[in-house]
Amino acid sequence: MSELNKKDETAAEHGKCMLNRRQFLMYSGSAAAAASTISVSLIPGQAQAKARVVGYPRKKIGQLSALKDDQPINFNYPDNAANSSAMLVKMGGVKAGGGVGSQRDVVAFSYMCTHQGGNMMGAYKAVGNHRVMGMCPLHLSTYDLTRHGIIVSGQAYQSLPQVLLEVDGDDIYAVGVMGLLYGRNDNLIES
Amino acid sequence: MSSKYYIPSDNTPLPPKSAEVLTTCCDYCIVACGYKIYRWPVGSADGGPKASDNAFNTSFPNAAPMSPWVAPTQHNVVMHKGRPHNVVIIPDKDAKVVNFTGDSSIRGGTIAQKCYNPDSPTRDRLQSPMIRINGTLQPVSWDLALDVATDVMKHVVKEHGANAYGMKTFSYQYLENTYAASKFGRRHMKTANFTFHDTPADVTSTPGFRDAGFDNFAASYQDWRDAEVLMICGCDPYETKTIIFNQFIKPAIDAGQKTVWINVRETAGIAYAKSKGNALFLQIDPGTDTPVMGSIARVIMENGWEDSEWIKNWVNDKWGSSSGFGQGTRNTPWQWRTTWGKFQTKGYEDYKKWVLSQDEYIPENAAKIANIDAADILKAAEMLSGGGKTRPKTSFGIEKGFYWSNNTANTNVVSSLATICGAGGRPGQMVSRFGGHQRGGTGGGKYPRNKSPQKRPGRRRQALDCDRFFYAGHTRLAHVVGTTWIQAMCGTGGLNSKFEELVTNNPNQVRSWNREDIVKTLNARADSGGTVVINHDIYLRDPIGSKYADIVFPAATWGESDFTRANGERRIRLYSKFYDAPGDAKPDWWIFAQLGQRMGFDGFDWKDANQVCEESSRFSRGNRKAYHMVKVAAHREGKTLHEKFRELGTTGIQGPTFINEKTGALEGTVRQHDTTATEEMWKDRSGGTNMMSKKWTHFKSQTGRVNIQKHPWSLFSDFWEWTKPKGDELWHTNGRINEVWQSGFDDVDRRAYISQRWPENWTEIHPDDAAKRGIESGDQVMLYSNRVPNFKATIKGVHGSDFNFADLLKNGWIELEEAAVSAVAIVTPNVKKGTMYSYFLNTSQPSNVLQGRIPDQISGNYNYKMGVSKVKKIGESKYKSEFRSMSFAPRNIV
Repeated sequence: MSELNKKDETAAEHGKCMLNRRQFLMYSGSAAAAASTISVSLIPGQAQAKARVVGYPRKKIGQLSALKDDQPINFNYPDNAANSSAMLVKMGGVKAGGGVGSQRDVVAFSYMCTHQGGNMMGAYKAVGNHRVMGMCPLHLSTYDLTRHGIIVSGQAYQSLPQVLLEVDGDDIYAVGVMGLLYGRNDNLIES
Repeated sequence: MSSKYYIPSDNTPLPPKSAEVLTTCCDYCIVACGYKIYRWPVGSADGGPKASDNAFNTSFPNAAPMSPWVAPTQHNVVMHKGRPHNVVIIPDKDAKVVNFTGDSSIRGGTIAQKCYNPDSPTRDRLQSPMIRINGTLQPVSWDLALDVATDVMKHVVKEHGANAYGMKTFSYQYLENTYAASKFGRRHMKTANFTFHDTPADVTSTPGFRDAGFDNFAASYQDWRDAEVLMICGCDPYETKTIIFNQFIKPAIDAGQKTVWINVRETAGIAYAKSKGNALFLQIDPGTDTPVMGSIARVIMENGWEDSEWIKNWVNDKWGSSSGFGQGTRNTPWQWRTTWGKFQTKGYEDYKKWVLSQDEYIPENAAKIANIDAADILKAAEMLSGGGKTRPKTSFGIEKGFYWSNNTANTNVVSSLATICGAGGRPGQMVSRFGGHQRGGTGGGKYPRNKSPQKRPGRRRQALDCDRFFYAGHTRLAHVVGTTWIQAMCGTGGLNSKFEELVTNNPNQVRSWNREDIVKTLNARADSGGTVVINHDIYLRDPIGSKYADIVFPAATWGESDFTRANGERRIRLYSKFYDAPGDAKPDWWIFAQLGQRMGFDGFDWKDANQVCEESSRFSRGNRKAYHMVKVAAHREGKTLHEKFRELGTTGIQGPTFINEKTGALEGTVRQHDTTATEEMWKDRSGGTNMMSKKWTHFKSQTGRVNIQKHPWSLFSDFWEWTKPKGDELWHTNGRINEVWQSGFDDVDRRAYISQRWPENWTEIHPDDAAKRGIESGDQVMLYSNRVPNFKATIKGVHGSDFNFADLLKNGWIELEEAAVSAVAIVTPNVKKGTMYSYFLNTSQPSNVLQGRIPDQISGNYNYKMGVSKVKKIGESKYKSEFRSMSFAPRNIV
């Protein structure tokens, strides 16, 4: 078996036990139902429609060709209200869970530490093959960005919320968030 | 969240204005942060995002850091008075002590997940008493289980003596439970076969502190902040006492506090301190703290940098050292050691002379033993003492990596080093443990030392090593309360086989539901030389519960009964009951009450937890927690003790407690051994039922001054030399990790968020050691050894050196065992080259199997941190290629 196929197998395995976007929508769909949003049955291949159903906006946040290795781009998501500060980064060829692009190394995360809400803008670090966010200036939490924002060391109450991405040609879209943003009771603010 | 898979949610309910609010503290580490529970019935409206619509009076989204917020892991649904209720459990945002600003660790922060909820991985909580019948644990009534248990207890004690009944119990799960357990096991069963969860014998954790006169928890958290120089030995408080670091040490480091660390491993707190430019990290080889700290002391004394004024006033001279002994000359630990002549000095000059005469304390030699740079020893001496310039306020904090490496000499050496630096009895100049578990012990009976069959050379009997006693087949009934026993000890492979032999493989196994038949069978097991096992726990533990227990009692725990407990600065708080215990589970004090009544013992007729607490209070008088005066104050106000504690909320009160007879106020105590306290401050605290102890203002020694002691390396060096890696071996040490710390019984198995981070056993290995063996991060490796030394029998010492490791080996008391565990490799430069660091207690792969079962010959504790192992790759774990679980990023990225 070639190295490439082996990797693909890994990706399939990964898809099974980690949330891919469709599964994510399913989970947040049921939660959104409680907030009186319509829940519809999932039809494969119609993910985009589901994104609107659960209320997350589809927002263009950058272009693959414009990303430079390990240089984060800031954006706000899912809205411009409090604690929407997030970053998009291409992690220099280090493959990541939820990564997009040909090397699956393009990811996006909230900047807000899920411990006590420290803002980690400027705390992205590339050390060898590791890509982390942290230490948070407040209480030193560090998150692994190759592994869906899992805690490396620290005190956070949940993983760093990952912004789910979709690629259309060269364009990168934010389409959802996995995990609750600090300071919110719901990622989607009722208008 | 019904799965062990972590599925992050993107919303969470807010408590409504109408939510009931109760206070508690975190159940886990020593720091015991204050928490608030918000409870409201399922089916009534949740709170809304507007400040006017929720219990926090806060609008969401809220941009302010450290404001009230509910993460999805902080909400749960529990039964309260038979009806489902929402609970949100978050750190107390109004906390006035400990966790200011409502800070918390990852462990306490997600404590809501601990609560029993059949929709969550807590669904396997024990709910009914069980008896093993036909090889399977079967639910039975409380009456049957308790009757059988006490029938067998009576038989075993009558036929085989009190010591044939052994109790292995937690020492910390709340004052009410530990009081009931020790009243039952010690005062009434009168067994010397009694010990706690973390030690093979009922002995002090810090023999050097005890003999110097230092209480383990003399310091207050503010002392760690107020020190100008802080020496931190064998732990990283960021990892294992998070809020002490976050709220006291980190702000101090930011303001210029210098830190000196002695550890094998660099984690986030050490890395952070180093990044601020005012830290010195002594990354030693395991077990070499004594030569390093002894040589620091030597440098200080050679240069005349010691605190002469302090030494003159507060260190025992020749006469002080020899006088008194407090308890009479025959039966104090201090006395028998002085007989031996290994520790006692004639005062400071004698100590200095001794240190200067020992070659291992020459910095170059010490550096060679510890595998560090000798220049760092000089630097440390200068930092700790001020190097002849202005003397800084220096404090010393120790924990398990330090005192479980070379238990006696390490605690001796830190006591002496601290003393010559002027630390021990002044604000910001203290010596203490940082702490492990919370302090929930109250003695309901005295340990009957004179009934112990174990004896040291010389005159004195020693607290019984219950592991060795069990191993030798003397324990006919093992009563195991809330501990795994087997995996938590050293060299556990042999202990496990012994349980299998004495319990499972004994032919007398229960085949009947009839009480008389069951009792007859279990009695026959005991009479035939086998062992009967009774186990209390909240979950069925493997193997003590699942494989070995004949009788299982389901325990109620945190949140399921009112409880009280103290933290590492002696702060006592009430832990409120806020939901129904699952099924028929009962708090341990209740279980002991039932057992005690059936045994015909007096004073086991408690009706509620408060009654137990009130009865126990007088036994706390004179000790560091001394909460008796809280009861006196409560009764004066017509309240119960628990009601009074409830009123004190998350602030609680620091023991020892007093009633100021002038003002009538209930007062706590900031620190013990406070030599700066004036008579004026203390005069109104005497009289009435107040009890004075000299250790509040002096030291806990025969004179009130510090005993400056020798710290002989030679009592340990034979073991250290023998252990030292040979050939392809590496040092193997183990310990805790921030994300799972004093919380393993909940976390790794039952908290999806934590189990995704640490799904399996792991070991850290240095990149150079890994490369040599073809090991990469994520590889499955085998840690194995064919020379795990086990001290196998209960013996009496006769000659002075009988308990030296070399003599034990020569005389055939040491058995070498094979042991192996598998682990996921984490290749990281944060561990010292030549040393592997594993998680200490993965219950299915306990790395303690590799650690020698050799109790410290002076204290009787295990030196858990001392082991060696070979390592080889046996495959690749799935974590190497998947993204869902684990992380291989080093813990010291700043």
